[in-house]
Amino acid sequence: MNQDLELKLQAWLDGELPAAEGRGIGQEIAGDAEASRLVADLQALKSALAGNELGVTVPDTREFYWSKIERQIQRESRSLRPVQVPRRAVWLRWLSPLAGFASLACMLMLAVKPPALPTFDEISSTGEGMEAVTFNDQSAGMTVVWLADPEQAQSTDTPVAKTPDTGDSEVEME
Amino acid sequence: MSMHLDRSALTDVDLVRAAQKGDMVAFEEIVARHRDKIYARAYSMMRNEDEALDLSQEAWVKGWQRLVQFQGDSSFVTWMTRIVINLCLDQLRKQKRQRAESIEALEEESGGVERYMPVINPNPTAGLERTELRRRIDRALAQLSKEHRAVLVLHEFEELEYKEIAKRMGCSIGTVMSRLFYARRRMASLLASLKRENAE
Repeated sequence: MNQDLELKLQAWLDGELPAAEGRGIGQEIAGDAEASRLVADLQALKSALAGNELGVTVPDTREFYWSKIERQIQRESRSLRPVQVPRRAVWLRWLSPLAGFASLACMLMLAVKPPALPTFDEISSTGEGMEAVTFNDQSAGMTVVWLADPEQAQSTDTPVAKTPDTGDSEVEME
Repeated sequence: MSMHLDRSALTDVDLVRAAQKGDMVAFEEIVARHRDKIYARAYSMMRNEDEALDLSQEAWVKGWQRLVQFQGDSSFVTWMTRIVINLCLDQLRKQKRQRAESIEALEEESGGVERYMPVINPNPTAGLERTELRRRIDRALAQLSKEHRAVLVLHEFEELEYKEIAKRMGCSIGTVMSRLFYARRRMASLLASLKRENAE
């Protein structure tokens, strides 16, 4: 007998075979002496085992058996209970990351400075009666201030560019 | 003692309700009522008194911790039995991992020598007194491998279906069928030899 048939017969006996498959089993057993014997053998064992498990009892007393269970329950409930944290520690738990974040923000602000704007160390004021024209070239980093005396300009009718070394005009190099 | 008397008149359902509210005295009463059954199931699967004691006690601890999950779909003792069975199967899996796979184990998986045994007739248990029959069944069970004994116990004594056994044992239904067939043939063979021993 092949194993498939053996397992099929067993499943049929245990009521685990689908109804469609189970219908033909009766004929199969009737026509096969070996199958018939196997079914009888399995059936006999099944009947013998039913309700005949040897009863065993706990070898310990009620109190002793329970004491270990109780201890274990208490031990595990203690380990699951949340630990009481001091109030100060709770504050510290929140303040520590905040302080860290604030420090980081400060460091970032210091590290990333806005681009420096051109600054002038000194703004020269001209004397009364003088005219001033300022030319500022940021790419060259140069500022040229033209000073003109209107009275003199009227006499010459053209503005005169003054070189820095004359003292009449200032050229500021940044 | 008065502690026990206070709760002994209550039904299992009432005790479980009280225990679910945290009444440990009620839980102790349930343990006292059903400890033998839970221990017996652990013993039938492990065949070792110490292991059975440890696992049955562990099952009660888990039962207490999961009491809120018990909805009363089955009886409380059935629910507890399922817990102890799962613990035993976990333990068997651990033990199987620990021991090296032997040729014998491989043979057992596929049926081994027992698959080719002739059908045993007449019935080896016929005409035995119930006490003697139980004793012989117990002796024969002790000689099965742990895996085969587990399948047989779950099917014959716990009346679990193939599908349920496969799920609990983490194997296929085909493996369950094969193990069950082998276990039955081996049991029949062992019972027959025990009968012969007694006759001699």
